[in-house]
Amino acid sequence: MKYVTTVNGKEFEIEIVDERHIRIGDRLLAVDFETVSGQPVFSLILDGRSYESFVYQGDEDWEVLLRGRQFQVKVQDEREKRLKAAAGGGVAEGGEFLLKAPMPGLIVATPVEEGQEVRKGQVLLILESMKMQNELKAPRDGVVDRIRVKVGESVEQKQTLLSVQ
Amino acid sequence: MFKKVLIANRGEIAVRIIRACRELGIDTVAVFSEADRNALHTRYADEAYLLGPAPSRESYLRADKIFEVAKKSGADAIHPGYGFLAEREDFSARCDELGIRFIGPKPSSIAAMGDKGKARATVIKAGVPVVPGTEDVGNMTDDDLLRIAPKIGFPLLIKATAGGGGKGMREVKSLEEMPTLLQSARREAESAFGDGNVYLEKLVEGARHIEFQIMADGYGNVIHLGERECSIQRRHQKLVEESPSPFLDEELREKMGSVAVKAAQAVDYINAGTIEFLVDKDRNFYFLEMNTRLQVEHPITEMVTGVDIVAEQIRIARRRQLSYTQEQIKFNGHAIECRVNAEDPFNNFMPSTGRITHSILPTGPGVRIDTGVYPGFEITPYYDPMIAKLIVWGETRAQAILRMRRALEEYRIVGVRTNIPFHQTLMDSHRFMGGQFDTRFVEERFSMEAAAEKIDEGQAEIAGILATLVAHKEAERSSQIVRRNERDTSNWKWVGRWERMHR
Repeated sequence: MKYVTTVNGKEFEIEIVDERHIRIGDRLLAVDFETVSGQPVFSLILDGRSYESFVYQGDEDWEVLLRGRQFQVKVQDEREKRLKAAAGGGVAEGGEFLLKAPMPGLIVATPVEEGQEVRKGQVLLILESMKMQNELKAPRDGVVDRIRVKVGESVEQKQTLLSVQ
Repeated sequence: MFKKVLIANRGEIAVRIIRACRELGIDTVAVFSEADRNALHTRYADEAYLLGPAPSRESYLRADKIFEVAKKSGADAIHPGYGFLAEREDFSARCDELGIRFIGPKPSSIAAMGDKGKARATVIKAGVPVVPGTEDVGNMTDDDLLRIAPKIGFPLLIKATAGGGGKGMREVKSLEEMPTLLQSARREAESAFGDGNVYLEKLVEGARHIEFQIMADGYGNVIHLGERECSIQRRHQKLVEESPSPFLDEELREKMGSVAVKAAQAVDYINAGTIEFLVDKDRNFYFLEMNTRLQVEHPITEMVTGVDIVAEQIRIARRRQLSYTQEQIKFNGHAIECRVNAEDPFNNFMPSTGRITHSILPTGPGVRIDTGVYPGFEITPYYDPMIAKLIVWGETRAQAILRMRRALEEYRIVGVRTNIPFHQTLMDSHRFMGGQFDTRFVEERFSMEAAAEKIDEGQAEIAGILATLVAHKEAERSSQIVRRNERDTSNWKWVGRWERMHR
């Protein structure tokens, strides 16, 4: 599982390799991570260095209190982040919008039909990836022009799935 | 010679007094509100009696009920702690009438010092310098105060005559904003002390708040136990105190100490008291007020002098002589106290309430904690946000700071947010380390955000890893919950069984 973690504005790419290892950039680190008696206090031994910290869930971010300093941390898994980029995408109002697959996966459903009017935020397509179903939504109001994939079809990352006029 | 002491207080100070009594073999009686049934003081005392509902006005401020409890329990002395009824002349006087020994000063001393206006007049007569302000004694109306204000000059302070601890205190920058501030000051004073009277005082800029601990017995012996530096404040609430002050030298200490003794003598003071001074940049000092009670920050004085102030209070109340002469008071090392409040320093010090679920107290050499809370205890919005006092002693100021840093890092309180990170940031600040601060330091030249910007990359990365691991665990856990709810029978069957079960 890969995460893009933003700490006070700085991005880190952190991969959970397995129970005992994480990778940051090209560094593979040994991790021993424990909850202290089920509390929001966590003990982390990272390559032999021991840290203890409070981690609270905020509204959107995580709040990490470490050695008297508080950090605002945003944790997005890579998939989620790509989805956001795909949905947000800075799409201009008007013109043709091409819905592209944010990640490789399987088309589970296409709840819209060609020629159908759709509203912003309406689900256009459901893509299964990493055993999770992801709803891909319309970034603006429009009319579905062409659906280029069928249910049950496997798609590649960045493949165009459908277009909205 | 009394045998049973009623402690008319709650929280850490009630626990502190119970401890002193226990060491002296005196029985203790606690009083508690409905919110404090499980508080430490209620549990530690030999006897405990309910006063009433949680709000102070209906419990800890109910002198009548406290006297009932004293009668019922046969307590022959009352220790008022600080706050609540500690500086109420009528309370002390009523104790005398009922033949209950009040562990504190005489009603006349409380009256003379408790009314800050009278106090100023009294010490001026004794030749003690004071901050310019309203000299009138008695109740002043808003009109009187508004008329006098321009003569004192702005900025000035509105202070509660019955005050202490910054309650009912307001800083006024101009005449225009004064009426509003007067009202809110009176309101706060009324609710905190049951007395809405206020007075005015010029604001000494760049001032330090330095106070002297006084002990006086009934035989005319008055000594001081040195000073406490209390300039680290926020909204006139002390946050950190230390003794000795890094600002005083031996000469100034002696001079201020003898003035403090003189001020106490001016009101025939008996028992423990504190003379507060403002000291300006040029080392001029002014009498601010006298607190006719035990102070929150008394432990730092105990740490550097070795005197058990509460035990000494009891000794004095038992009509015995002080155990020490001035010459016998020796200062050893340096002590710092951090007040641990249930406040979120990252969210404008918003009070935080809730149940303390987990707590690890720092221990080890030179560390003392006075607290009234424990895991499982609920922090309610009814009382002061202070939940503990962390006190350390070191041979030097530097060692004390290092030790405080160590102790703060060890301290874990889970369930409510605390200002421990504030203290940690403060202990790291160069100005604090250099002793370069005044009473405005925290509000004007200190910010958690500025300190946060100096974070090294390594720490940010660790924080990122921690959050990622927690988020990952969280995600795994929620997917497991989904799996656990997957049922082998149909949902309809399951619902049917569930409903039958709850019939």
